[in-house]
Amino acid sequence: MKFYNIIIILFLFSIKIKSQDTIKVNANLSPAQLAEQDYNNGIEALKRNDFESAVNMFNNSLASNPSFDKALANRAVAYTQLKNYNLALLDINRAITLNTYNPEFYFNKSLIFFSQQLLDSQSVALENCLKINPAHPEACYYKGMLHYEFKEFDKAIEYYTKAINSKPNYVYAYNDRGSAKREKSDYTGAIADYEKALTIDNSLFFILNNLGSAYRLNKNYSKAIETYSKALQKKPSYLIALSNRGAAHFENNNLKAAQEDFEAVLKQDPKNAYAYNNLASIAIKNKDYKKAKEMASRSIEFDPKNGPAFYNRGIARQMLREEEGCCSDWKKALDLGVNDAKMFINATCLD
Amino acid sequence: MKNLFFTLTFSFFYAFLFSQSVEFEKDNFPGRKDELKAARKQLEIGIEFYSNGRQEFDEFKKTFISEHRYCPVSHYDYQKAGHQNFRSAISPLGEAQKFNPNNARLNYMLGFISFITDPSMPQTLTYFETAHKLNNQVEPDLLFWLGWTYHLNSKWDDAIKNYQLYLNSGNKKNPAETEDIKKKIEECNNGKKFSATPERVFVDNLGANINSSYPEYGPSISTDEEMIIFTARRDNSTGGKREENDGGFYEDLFVSNKQAGKWQPAKLLSKNVNTEFHDAAAGLSPDGSKLYVYRHSGRDGGDLYETVLFGADWEPPVHMNKNINTKYHESSVSLSFDGKRLYFVSDKESGLGDRDIYYSDMDVKGEWGPAKSIGTIINTKFSEEAVFMHPDGVTLYFSSKGHNSMGGYDIFKSTLVNGLWTTPVNLGYPINGPDDDVFFVISGSGNRAYFASSKTGGYGEKDLYKITFLGPEKMPLLNTQDQLMSMIANPVSNLKTENAVTIASAKLTILKGVVTDAKTSAPLESSIDLIDNDLNIVLATFKSNSTTGKYLVTLPSGKNYGIAVKREGYLFHSENFNLPDDMAYQEFTKNVALKKVEVGNTIVLKNIFFDFDKYTLRPQSGNELERLSKLLNDNPTIKIEIGSHTDNRGSDEYNLKLSGNRSKTVVDYLISKGFSASRLVAKGYGESKPIDSNDTEDGRQNNRRTEFKILEK
Repeated sequence: MKFYNIIIILFLFSIKIKSQDTIKVNANLSPAQLAEQDYNNGIEALKRNDFESAVNMFNNSLASNPSFDKALANRAVAYTQLKNYNLALLDINRAITLNTYNPEFYFNKSLIFFSQQLLDSQSVALENCLKINPAHPEACYYKGMLHYEFKEFDKAIEYYTKAINSKPNYVYAYNDRGSAKREKSDYTGAIADYEKALTIDNSLFFILNNLGSAYRLNKNYSKAIETYSKALQKKPSYLIALSNRGAAHFENNNLKAAQEDFEAVLKQDPKNAYAYNNLASIAIKNKDYKKAKEMASRSIEFDPKNGPAFYNRGIARQMLREEEGCCSDWKKALDLGVNDAKMFINATCLD
Repeated sequence: MKNLFFTLTFSFFYAFLFSQSVEFEKDNFPGRKDELKAARKQLEIGIEFYSNGRQEFDEFKKTFISEHRYCPVSHYDYQKAGHQNFRSAISPLGEAQKFNPNNARLNYMLGFISFITDPSMPQTLTYFETAHKLNNQVEPDLLFWLGWTYHLNSKWDDAIKNYQLYLNSGNKKNPAETEDIKKKIEECNNGKKFSATPERVFVDNLGANINSSYPEYGPSISTDEEMIIFTARRDNSTGGKREENDGGFYEDLFVSNKQAGKWQPAKLLSKNVNTEFHDAAAGLSPDGSKLYVYRHSGRDGGDLYETVLFGADWEPPVHMNKNINTKYHESSVSLSFDGKRLYFVSDKESGLGDRDIYYSDMDVKGEWGPAKSIGTIINTKFSEEAVFMHPDGVTLYFSSKGHNSMGGYDIFKSTLVNGLWTTPVNLGYPINGPDDDVFFVISGSGNRAYFASSKTGGYGEKDLYKITFLGPEKMPLLNTQDQLMSMIANPVSNLKTENAVTIASAKLTILKGVVTDAKTSAPLESSIDLIDNDLNIVLATFKSNSTTGKYLVTLPSGKNYGIAVKREGYLFHSENFNLPDDMAYQEFTKNVALKKVEVGNTIVLKNIFFDFDKYTLRPQSGNELERLSKLLNDNPTIKIEIGSHTDNRGSDEYNLKLSGNRSKTVVDYLISKGFSASRLVAKGYGESKPIDSNDTEDGRQNNRRTEFKILEK
């Protein structure tokens, strides 16, 4: 669930801008027109990410026209950005009371819940949105995301497909559908979706990385390495692609090339815990268990929650005859979600 | 000129090939007449001993072949053939060798003696290689012995080459010898194959508390690996006598217990067990309470004895009955987890080969019944030895000189599937090697094993070693990252998992603990019934130790077990273990504090089962109800309350009614068995008296219970 903490708020913003556009106003202002003028100023403030000013503007607007549903809906957006979710929810509910059939209001409500990680409530709000507009592309997309998060990949694919049908150039929907297919081990389907996403927008290097990973998982290492390299051409500092290319080399049994990539990651980011762990993996393959232990320990030093590093250090310690250390590492790895450690613990650590 | 060159070259090679062996002749040792004379004298003495020994050896081999229709497979088979003469020859031949190390025949003789008496000595190979270099035709069978020495040194290709050369040579061989060479070539091929893909194991010497400069072998371990009993031939053996044949001390049994994970200094078992003759460890029951001893005092081929641990000492061993012991050699015993079947080894005439594995089932009188061969899937025309039935009840380990051995005895595993043994599987290299690998016992978990080996780096002669199985190679885990969902600003870390490897571990549960008096905490000897709840039968009865109160019961997966701990004058204690077929190895420690039959004491009847949400007794409750009946019979004055309890699901009223009905069902059962209703009170407590949390399934299960309480005595 942690990814909900780090959503791209821009997306939320773009929804608001799209659904609640500015209104033209005349010089001789009636209260309604004044409300609209303040509303427009509020929208401008939102665009500047000046959320407190936006709230003030929408306050003014609503003082002139208390039943101005769009002003309520946008103040809810400003409150959401200010993490004042209670007031945001109050406003969006009032907006919905004033205009029950605006699907965007329900969608914005769903995003307020999304921001609070209230996934069940988010789901209900999305369903209400989709009842009014079953083809609402963003609602379909977010519904797909929810299913993805709950590991219901078939349902996720279904909603991403609906989003794509409503918005054929929906690049993120293609990417995410590709990822859902990857989760189902349908790497060919994933590759097709990532490639389609890249034909829509080839500047998105993270999709290139995803495509590389789909090739890697499909054991097409040459294509994987080629694709990661393309991502690196687009953004040479993209360490994720560099590290993943190393992984592709590793899985292709080219340990020398893998080591070069992992060491290159460390050159740019000397505290990269993943690179240290990946070097530990190479050392294990080379049966250099002392080095493996050292590398995994460095990884743990920089990321104390890196389960694979504990797992790898456990392997190294077992071979170095440090039985207690090996078992405590595998137990820690298991606590951190590395389920493979369980059978080793059962087999080795009963004492 | 050209002719001269050829003549010189030919002469040189001729000299190199055939004349390098330096004979004990005066021309070869100018000016050393007296030394030569002394050396010749030593050589003469040595040759006499050697020739006598060789004659005995050849006679032994001939007899062996006529009895078995094949050649001795292991060099140990020859250990008693000409042994004394060979040992007597070592010193004089050694003296002669010091004077003249380049005599082919002398090197051959010394190599041969070294091979027969101790082929692990590095000089064996040196002698044979030197003899071969000096004159490769010094003895017709040199290639065979050189091949076998390479074989024992795991030099597979050199061994095959020499075996092949000997096979193809014109040297006269009988069919058994030809078959033996072919078998040895096959063993080398097996060795090549297995050593190319070695098993991942750690092999550790058990240390100075167990091993000594004398031979240690034949380990037996308790299922929980807390006790090891083994055979040693040390200078402190009972009686301190040496055996005539090989000059070693007589065998005795030693024991060591583990404390804080470390083996304590091994001690001789008492004179109850050890005599002044051969007393060797033949096997230990899974719970460690019965020990099988091999004794050989020269009257027959050697017999098996059983002794029981009483308190801290073993009772005097009892000779096993005629279904087990014969006039032949019986050795190596393994008892099934329930103590109802005994596997053992005998070389009696009816066997398929030299030594075979047999089993005997316990009859209704508790006696071992007629022995039956374990069958041709396991037994071969060669020898089988050191049988070990794992406490999981289905996995058999044994040593064999047949099957796809790498040489001598190798250790094999076979599994009982639908009543049939699977084809034995060689445990692989380095567990097995070209020499004898025998006396292998494996822990309850299946992850460790113990065996004896003469490998270098030990404390001398054979030592005991521990094998730790590491399982298949573990693939390291990479960290990779992908930004799988577009709306996420930061990438999601994705664990890249290589294909998982499966580690096979025994499907077995070990239950162990201490039985004590609930009031005084004094250890109690008690009987422990192991019950198959589905069949309602007592599978086996064990005893806790009278001095320590310790007990150990092994429970193979795949059954619903009831455990009843009983002692006269005490309330019985019951436990239930429902172990699905795929339940992996686990250990439970359950200390049991038995309560006396006194007013106010309560016990939980863990093997009384009701249908879900009903008050109908399930058939699996039969044994527990019988125990309850027996308690009432044995204590005719007691009055008891049967109290049932529920968890907190359902309404109070419903739970109260259900528990009341359940108590009444038990009481009605007891009345139907003839007990007076006046001695029985049924009470339902519903959810009012929980003994555990109702927030977890385990806790709720503990709360759903039937108890009985003594109201009057």
